[in-house]
Amino acid sequence: MTMLSERQQLSYIASQAADARLNVELETEGMTLNIGPQHPATHGTLRIIARLDGEQVIWAEPSAGYMHRGYEKLTEVRTFPQVTSLINRIDWLGSFANEVPFILAAEKLMEIEAPPRAQHIRTILFELSRIANVGLFLGDLGVQMGAITPVFLAFRDREYVLNLIEGATGGRFHPNFDRIGGLKDDLPQGWIDETRQVMKKLRGFCDEIEDLLFGNEIFQSRTRGIGVIPADVARQYGLSGANLRASGVDWDLRRDQSLPMAWDKVDFKVWTHPDGDSWARCWVRLQEVRESTKIVDQLLDTMPAGPVMAKVPRIIKVPEGEAWVSTENPLGEMGYYVVSKGDLGPFRVKIRSASFNNISITPWVLKGVYVPDIITILASLYFILGDIDR
Amino acid sequence: MPKLPGLIKGLGVTMGTLVRTVKDGANTVQYPHAKESPPVRARGVIALREDNCTACMLCARSCPDWCIYIEAHKQLAPPRRAGGKPRQVNHLDRFDIDYALCMYCGICVEVCPFDALFWSPEYEYSEPRIADLLHDKTKLGEWMETVPEAPALEVGAEKKK
Repeated sequence: MTMLSERQQLSYIASQAADARLNVELETEGMTLNIGPQHPATHGTLRIIARLDGEQVIWAEPSAGYMHRGYEKLTEVRTFPQVTSLINRIDWLGSFANEVPFILAAEKLMEIEAPPRAQHIRTILFELSRIANVGLFLGDLGVQMGAITPVFLAFRDREYVLNLIEGATGGRFHPNFDRIGGLKDDLPQGWIDETRQVMKKLRGFCDEIEDLLFGNEIFQSRTRGIGVIPADVARQYGLSGANLRASGVDWDLRRDQSLPMAWDKVDFKVWTHPDGDSWARCWVRLQEVRESTKIVDQLLDTMPAGPVMAKVPRIIKVPEGEAWVSTENPLGEMGYYVVSKGDLGPFRVKIRSASFNNISITPWVLKGVYVPDIITILASLYFILGDIDR
Repeated sequence: MPKLPGLIKGLGVTMGTLVRTVKDGANTVQYPHAKESPPVRARGVIALREDNCTACMLCARSCPDWCIYIEAHKQLAPPRRAGGKPRQVNHLDRFDIDYALCMYCGICVEVCPFDALFWSPEYEYSEPRIADLLHDKTKLGEWMETVPEAPALEVGAEKKK
């Protein structure tokens, strides 16, 4: 793990050189470049303050909070069923995945468990939201580097997934389908067959993107060896998800912890990449979409019959206690620390969202890079603004 | 010249898409001329069956952003059986949903114990003025016509009691 590749070493030397340049007496006057808060490459209102020396960044810092919506505080004045309608707006591209850890934490406190069929459908919808989320990332990636075609392909094929989510839950972006003790409703007729077809289409989409974008020489030269994050640095900054796996750390919460979900009933591969550069982060995500389609296929084949709702009182009061549940969301580890005092609503909720920790590495990784590479590094780190600011 | 093959491949995709679009038609739907039909479960607009509503206020209380406004008064209704006492019922004076605030979570539809609220997949009710998005009970009642039957469930689902 401590072995550095040649590219990593070069990048490290470049960053050290940038550090040293600050201390040289004959320092040229630098320039402060504000990227954002309104900038098409920041996916929202993230502001990056970069201090430049010529074309090289010598100091950079993300300034988040332009879209803070105060969800941790809002949950304190909502009841448990109302909270799910709020929190699926945190990471708006994979909204169903946001609901699951909170519901699991509440279920843990109430000591109930969803029936097997509900766990299966939950896992399927979770993986579908991962596909919708990362599918858009794969398309968006090209746009950051001036390739327009992949985003059209991504929007075309993501639409099939969103139609599936809407057909089952009623909401395209904000399903609000998860309930304490199970799900709101069962799947509509014909949904399973439709999902199988869409999964086939999405595997085709992955092949297409891999051929068109990842096989493109310009894309490769823009991403290979750029923004290298060694494994120990990634761990120190608390990266999670694909960003950590791209640095060679074999870490996946779906496999590593036992939750009342259906991931232990399927076999899937956790992809890692030894390089830790922008290319590796994009490549790992592409493989993850493929893996997700396979998980969905396996779960559809083994769908158990039965109810989708456990026996839950009509008015939900969660007993006093504290619970922490985190899952492997599309962006990384997302967890909720729920404190309940036995009321209708939570007393305090701490939301650990993946993007906030993932962008905290930007001061380290942007040091020494050139200005055009800021965009590709930010794109490959992949954050959703709602997930940073909450 | 090492970057040429990628460029040619990209142009090939454009050509392929052009040919396919001309042959099979585009993936997009030209909205005002052609319309997509949303799935049966789509949460488009909330419809109200006024006869079923007892003004119990459960929906208004459980709404996360308090966008339902209910006013009612008690009045005497004729007895069910001849010779009985007249009944006291809640008469609905006002039932408004402010769609400028509504976040389409569906909690009100779910908590309603008397089956007075329903989801309809109808979506064409945008207004030039934000105040017009406040739908009153007659308008909410009109949406009842667009409410579809609940869809059949997938194999293995438990029957609703």
